[in-house]
Parts: sequence; C-alpha cells; structure tokens
Amino acid sequence: MSESIIFYTLALFLLGGASGMITARRTIFSAASFMLSMIALSGMFALLHQSFLFLAQLLVAVGAIITLSMLVIVSVNISERYIPKEPHLGRALLLGALIAAPIVALIVVALQAHFTASFAPVPEDFGTLASIGATLFSAWVLPFELISLLLLAALVGAVVISRKGERS
Amino acid sequence: MSTAALIVTLGSVVLAALLALMMIPVLVWLERRVAGLIQDRVGPNRTNIMGFRLGGVIQSFADVIKLVFKEEYYPGHIKTGRALYMLAPAITFSAALLAFMTVPFADTLNIDGEALRIQALPVEYGILWYLAIGALGIIGVLFGGWLSHNKYSLLGTQRAGSMGLSYELPLGLAVVSMMLTYNTIDFNAMVAWQTQTVLGFLPAWGVVVQPLAFVLFSVALFAETNRAPFNVVEGESEIVSGHMTEFSAMKFALYFMGEYIAMNSAAAVIITMFFGGYQLPYLSTPELIESFGSLSIAFMVMTPLIIYCFIRWMRHNNDVRPSLSNDGGRRFEARVLSIVLLVKLVVLELIFAYFAFAQPSALQTQVAVAVMQIAVFVLKLMLFNIFFIVVRWTLPRFRFDQVQKLGWYYLLPLALLNIFITAIVIVGVGL
Repeated sequence: MSESIIFYTLALFLLGGASGMITARRTIFSAASFMLSMIALSGMFALLHQSFLFLAQLLVAVGAIITLSMLVIVSVNISERYIPKEPHLGRALLLGALIAAPIVALIVVALQAHFTASFAPVPEDFGTLASIGATLFSAWVLPFELISLLLLAALVGAVVISRKGERS
Repeated sequence: MSTAALIVTLGSVVLAALLALMMIPVLVWLERRVAGLIQDRVGPNRTNIMGFRLGGVIQSFADVIKLVFKEEYYPGHIKTGRALYMLAPAITFSAALLAFMTVPFADTLNIDGEALRIQALPVEYGILWYLAIGALGIIGVLFGGWLSHNKYSLLGTQRAGSMGLSYELPLGLAVVSMMLTYNTIDFNAMVAWQTQTVLGFLPAWGVVVQPLAFVLFSVALFAETNRAPFNVVEGESEIVSGHMTEFSAMKFALYFMGEYIAMNSAAAVIITMFFGGYQLPYLSTPELIESFGSLSIAFMVMTPLIIYCFIRWMRHNNDVRPSLSNDGGRRFEARVLSIVLLVKLVVLELIFAYFAFAQPSALQTQVAVAVMQIAVFVLKLMLFNIFFIVVRWTLPRFRFDQVQKLGWYYLLPLALLNIFITAIVIVGVGL
C-alpha cells in the first residue's frame, strides 16, 4: 500500500517534471523541471531496491548533467527572443502525435503483456555495486571499453574544436 | 522490528540530527574564537543569559534569533521564478544535511543476533550516497544565484558551477583509489579495515596507507565546501557575497548554515575514511569489549585529571580584564560551571567504577563501548572542524584562475596516478 502511494507520487513528479521541461518558457524552469523528474526517476530505482542505479542516477543525471546545463544557461543567457518562431505549432504537434502513435500502441501492448505475466524474484545481490561491476567487466567488457573509447574520442574532439580559434 | 532495533534506529537518527544541526552554533562560535585567537584578539564573549556566557557560545544563539526575526526582504527587481528563488537555499541546506546521514557513529551493535548499525541511514553504500547527495548542494547555489538577477550573483554562480565540476573529478577519483584499497564502499567496513596495523606498529589509517589520496580528497572537499583558500564563490573583496548577495534573513541563514553543515559532513567523511572513524587506534571493537574493565580503570584515573585541568583553565580564562576587581558575573558563572563539571565527574566515575569492578552484562558492555566510540567520533570530528577553521584563517584566498589550474593541472593527473599506483600495489600484493 505505502509502496504504491510512493510510486504514484514519484510518477506524478516524474511526468509533471517531464512535461514542465518541454513546456516551460524560460530555460531555468526547464532545468528545474528536468531535475525534478530525474530525482523522481532515481526515487523509482530506490523503490525497486536498486541502490546502485539510484545513486548513479543522482550522481550523473542531477550532480553532473543538471550542473553542466545550469552552467550553460548561466553563461549563455538565452532569452525568449532567440527562440525560433513556431507558426504552425498545432499542425506540427498533430503530425508528431500521428507519427508517435504506433510506437505508443506498441508500448501499451508490451506493457499489457507484462502486467499479466508473473515475475520470478531476482537474486539477492541483483543490482548491487559488486554484481554490476562484475558483470560489466566480464560479460560486457568489450562494449564497455568501446564506449569508453567513444567517449575519449568525443572528449578529444571537443578540445580540438574549442582550440580552433586560437591558432589563427 | 524489535524494541532494541527501534531504540537504536531512533537514537541514531536523533544523534545524527543533533550532530549536524546543533553543531552549527558551536562551529560558528569556534570559527569566531579561533579567528580571534589567530588574529590576537578575544572574539565574542559578552552576550549572556543571566550571566552565563559559556565562553561566547550564547552569541551564536543570539545570531540565530536575530536571523529568524529579521525582516523577510524580497528584492523588487526579481519578477519571475519567485518560488524557485525562495526554494534554492533550502535545496543547498537539505543536501548538506542529508549527505551527513550515512556516517557511522559507532560500530554495529549485535543484539539478540540482530546487527544494528549506528547510522541514521543504515545503508552499505555510504560513500556513494555522500558523493551523490553532496553534489546536489551546488544546484541550490546555481538556481539562487541565477534568479537573483545581479551581476555579482551571476559571477558567483558561474564560479560555483565551474569549480564544483572541476573538483568533483579529483574527489571522485580519490574515492575510487580508496575503494580499491578498502575493497568496499561501506563506511563501517572501511573503519573495520583501518583497525589493522601496517609495518607492525602504525595503525592502518587511510592517511597512513594512502597519504596522496588524503591530500587530494581533503583539498577537493575544501573546494566543494567553499572554504578558504577556495572561497572564490563568495570572495567578499571581489564580488560582494557571490550567490548570496540578494538573500536576506532566513534565506541567507539557510545558505550560511548549509555551508557549516557541509563542512561538518566533510570532516566526518574524512575522519571515517582516513582517520579510523570511531575507532581508537590499535583497539578493534571486539578487543574493546573484552578489555573494557581495565580501560574503565584507566578512564577512572584520567577523567579527574582532565576535568581538573579544564576547571583550572576555565577559571583562569573566564576573566577579561584582571584589573577589574568586581567582575562578579564571570566568577559566578565559573563557580556554577565548576559545580556542574564536578557532578559530571562523579557520575562518570560511578559509571566507570561499575564497569571496572561490578560484573556488567555483555549487552551493557556493548552499549558502553558504542557510547565511548561515539565520544571518540565527536572528539575527532571537533578536531577536524578546528583544522578546517585554522586553515581558513591562515591561508589567503586563491585567485579564481589559480583554483581552476590547481584542479585541472595538478589534482586531476595526481588522482589518476594515484589510482594507477594503488591498482599496481593491490595486484602486486595479490600475486
């Protein structure tokens, strides 16, 4: 009972934050809503006893991404007049909804199948830091290393692009 | 949930709240008195209630009352985002308060086969929680500073954001090397690891095993908590008060108190990871429980000496002007406090005598050891807080570009190198 109350409260914050993020007129409120939904999402992980995902979500999404995007907002000062005009907003929304409809239908069907299925309880150490680390460095070591290479390439690329102006 | 578990949980939560919140006035007082000591003056010592000054602690309570009753001024030029502007100091404050909650104050109690942790949040991912929640504090600074619509606040906000990001990296990497050393992220297990000895005689505290990680970790934490020499965020001589410029009354007080709580939690985490936490050096908890009788006898001898010295010191120093012959209020205060201390001494002696000569049950000894470990923890915490304060009043502030340079050019490569060396040593020992 208490679990479902917490779940629905978190879901409310999650959806409210997500819709606030795309509808807010000022970027600062978008960032605040995004933070709200990210904290609610980490709360969902905590509700599922996934301690590592819960903390990683807080650490990465809130601690790093929100701080970075806030830093960008603070440095760039985007005001409303820089945002492009959207004359056919209604039509665009309708078209987008039509395109998204099959995917939503697919999700609904998949969720319905899941609601009726019965789940086996996960093992005791599922989702702990130790088990995730062991899985990541045994079965998934190649993708893990490839992603780290990708990130390194992105990092070097960012440095090169930011240095471009200095040479001339 | 058994009665014992309920009592221990409630006790730990209350203890954590007290250690975080009641520490604020004490730390504010300590800051002013240590500043006075370093600058060769007295510091606050006049405010009193019925003649009781307690060395000036009362001043902090007067400050709290002043801040609570101050006019709630709201700057007129802030048109939008009023709710978020008001909420921002609360975000910083609650993040600092929550980050303190996983620090263990004593070893796990084993009552009727139940392992009860003396932690407000009895979880085993202590250090990750501290990093994750501690990083939230910067969000309140960013929101508050940006919504202030003030160029000084804006500069402070930019500084806070970029400094927070650049020092989060060496902090996290230092933690990684400590995680490799301890092979755990649980604070309790880290403290248990530190009861070993290295080279046969040194306690295996983190600072002995990983001195470089200790330096990196503390420097990064000094920067994260905005303490001098890294207080560029509110560099008073440059940008007024940084992000706090437009905040007044309780909103300002929340930022202010949040800073002290963050410092207190940083000190708690440093002593847990690098200075043996709640343990006395050389004595692990089972040894303590075994030999608590003989320890009590040692305490019976030591306590009167300590309290005698303290009373002498207090009577000598609770006097501002020796030329003033009728400083009656202070004499009266010193007399009452001496009586209180003597009563405390008698009570302590009785308790120690009970543990030394009567036959206490196993449970009683366990609880007594836990209480003693809490006392050791608080003592270490106070010492480290004083270290934070002394550093603040000794070193001048860095320029902002120097802060960034230190973070990226020195701390980050050193932290990476430290991980590399740690990994090599661990693999080498394991072979």
